[in-house]
Amino acid sequence: MPTRYYYYDYDYNNRTRNCSTTTTRSSLEPPDVPRLAQTARISLTPHEVEEFAPKIRQVIDWFGQLQDVDLDSVDPALRADSETGYLREDIPKTFKNRESMIAAVPSYDEPYIKVPKVLNKE
Amino acid sequence: MASFLFRTIQSHSFLLCPTTLLRRNNGAFYCSMKSTHTQTATQEKQQPPPKIKSSPQGNQAKTRTLDRISKEYEAIIGIETHVQLSTLTKAFCTCPYNYGAQPNTSVCPICMGLPGALPVVNSKVVEFAVKLGLALNCKLSFNSKFDRKQYFYPDLPKGYQISQFDIPIATGGYLDVDLPVEYGGGHRRFGITRVHMEEDAGKLLHADDGVSYALQVDLNRAGVPLLEIVSEPDMRTGLEAAEYAAELQRLVRYLGVSNGNMQEGSLRCDVNVSIRPVGQSKFGTKVEIKNLNSFSSINRAIDFEIARQALLYSQGKADQIVQETRLWEEGSQKTVTMRKKEGLADYRYFPEPDLPEVILNKEYVDSIQSSLPELPEMKRRRYEEMGLSMQDVLFLANDINVARFFDATIGKGADVKLAANWIMGDIAAHMKNEKLTINEIKLSAAELAELIASIKGATISGKIGKEILFELMAKGGTVNGIIKEKDLVQIVDPSEIEKMVDKVFSENPKQLEQYRGGKTKLQGFFAGQVMKISKGKANPGLLNKILLEKLNAKS
Repeated sequence: MPTRYYYYDYDYNNRTRNCSTTTTRSSLEPPDVPRLAQTARISLTPHEVEEFAPKIRQVIDWFGQLQDVDLDSVDPALRADSETGYLREDIPKTFKNRESMIAAVPSYDEPYIKVPKVLNKE
Repeated sequence: MASFLFRTIQSHSFLLCPTTLLRRNNGAFYCSMKSTHTQTATQEKQQPPPKIKSSPQGNQAKTRTLDRISKEYEAIIGIETHVQLSTLTKAFCTCPYNYGAQPNTSVCPICMGLPGALPVVNSKVVEFAVKLGLALNCKLSFNSKFDRKQYFYPDLPKGYQISQFDIPIATGGYLDVDLPVEYGGGHRRFGITRVHMEEDAGKLLHADDGVSYALQVDLNRAGVPLLEIVSEPDMRTGLEAAEYAAELQRLVRYLGVSNGNMQEGSLRCDVNVSIRPVGQSKFGTKVEIKNLNSFSSINRAIDFEIARQALLYSQGKADQIVQETRLWEEGSQKTVTMRKKEGLADYRYFPEPDLPEVILNKEYVDSIQSSLPELPEMKRRRYEEMGLSMQDVLFLANDINVARFFDATIGKGADVKLAANWIMGDIAAHMKNEKLTINEIKLSAAELAELIASIKGATISGKIGKEILFELMAKGGTVNGIIKEKDLVQIVDPSEIEKMVDKVFSENPKQLEQYRGGKTKLQGFFAGQVMKISKGKANPGLLNKILLEKLNAKS
C-alpha cells in the first residue's frame, strides 16, 4: 500500500520541483483507489475498493499531520538520514547459492526465466 | 579555419523525460533483430574515424532534398545516450559482469530483486560518473541522491529501476565535436543537459516455442551500471547527431569508463527529432526514434525522419505528426510507428530509501580531475597547431592508443609529418590486415622514431626503410640491428656508384646504343640495373645524378 506524502513532479520545461503538498492537513487529495490499484497491479473488487478507500485515507491523513510543521525557514534536505554514504570496492564476488535462487523461480526454462508475454509496458 | 560555435538554445518547450514508454525495450530488440549493417566506426580493434556509408547517386539526390528542406525547415534534434560502465562488478552488488556469459549465471539476491536484499553502491560507479561529468565540462552536484523509477516489466526484477531523477550527479556541460573533412568539416559545440547514474535491466528474448508465446529473461545484465547522458537539443542534422555520438564513444574510451560499443549494447542512443518552419518560434511535435545500432543509422534515421515530417508539413498535414516512439528499420531504411501511446507514463519517482546520499568533496573531485588524460578535443587542437592537416588530426586523435604511439614517436624527436604518414599508411594497413591493435604490433614508437631518423639522415633509402618497417612490425627488433644484420646501409659514395654504373654500361652495350640513339626512356632501365647490383642500397638521387652525367657525357 503506497504511503506517500511527498510527490515530486519534475517539469523539464521549467526545471522546477513542484510538490503537491500544501500546508493544511485536510487539503491532501483523497486517494483514487482504483488508479492506485491499477498502478500497483493489484486487482480489487468494487466492494474492496469501497472498503479500502477510507482506511487508506486515514493513513494518509495520519502522515498529513506533518503538513502542520512550519518549514518556511528550513532548507529542504535531500534525504532524511544523516549517515555518510558508504561505497564499496569494485571487487567481484560470486554468490554461492545460485542454485536455490534458480530453484525458486516458478517457471525456469534452462537457462532462461520464462514469463508470460506482456502486451504493453506500464 | 572558420570556427563555428553553436550556442545552446536558452528556452524551449522540449519535453525530454518521462514520456519514453518503451525505453527499457532494449533487450528484446537487441536479440531478435540482427544489425544488417556493420558500421565502419566500431571495428573492435583498430578504428579509423567513423565514415557514414551511402551510395554516391543516392547521396546526391538525398543531399538535394535535404538542402531544399533545410532552407524551409529547421530540425531540432536531441540525443539520450546510455553508456554501460566497464566496472568489474554491478552497480549495487558484487556480481561480475561479462558480456556473452551463459544466461542467469551472474546473479545474486540483490540484482534478482529477492525480498530482503539491499543495494550497496559501487564506488567505481561514482568515480566514473565524476570523470565523465568533468570531461563533459559539467557542474557536479556535490550532494546527489538515488531515486526509484517504478514500472512493471519482466526484465526489471525489483519492479523499479534505481536511477537519479531530480538531482543528477552532473548538469550543464558541453561537448566539442569536429565534423569529418569529407562532409565539409567544421567545429560544433553541443550542450549537455545532465549526466546521471542508474542501473541496467535484464535482457528479454522471445521464446521460440510457438505454442505459449512466452518471453525469456536473462538477468545477467540486470544491475549493470549505466550513465545516462542527455544532450541539449542542439543538433540540426543527422550528421551532427552521428558525430556527437561518435565523439561520446571516443570520450568514454579515452577515459576508460566504457568500451562504448554500439553492437554489444554498451553505448545506446535514442534520438528526439522535431522540425519547424524557419522563422517560427514555436517548436514542432517531437518524435522519438529507437533501435539505432550504429552511427550511420543515427545519421540516416534522422535524415529520413526530417524528410518525413517536412513532407507532411508541406502537404498541410502537420497535425499527422504525433508525439510517439518510432523504430528505425535497417532493412527498409525507414522509421515506423511502434505503437500509439496510451497516456504519459507515471514512474512515481521517490528517493531510494535503501541508499544514502552521494557526497563528493573537493579533494576527491580534484584528484579525479588531475587524473584525466588529454581529452580528444585538446589533442585535436594540439595536433592542429603542430601543422598537421585536419584529415591527419582526426585520424590520429581518434584512438587514444594510436595518439599515445604518435606522441611517443615524436617525443623521441621524429618529424611530425613523417610520423603521421607512417602511422596512417603502412602501419594502419598492417594493423588492419593482421587484425591487431597498435599496442599489439611488435613495432615500438622508439624504433619508428629511429627509422624515420635513419631515412632522414640518409643512412638508408626510403624503399629500404619500408622493408625494415615490415620486419619490425612482424618480428620486432631494432632498426640498427636489422640494418647491420642485412647490410642495408645506403651507398652514398659517388665512386662506388660510378663503378656500378660503368659495370651496367659494359654489360648492356645494346641499350647504351639505343639511349644514344634517342631512346632516353632507357634511363630508368639503367637505374633499375644499378639498383639490382647494389641490392637496392644505392641512393636513388645520387644514382640518377651520376647516371645522367655519364649518359650525357659520352655523347
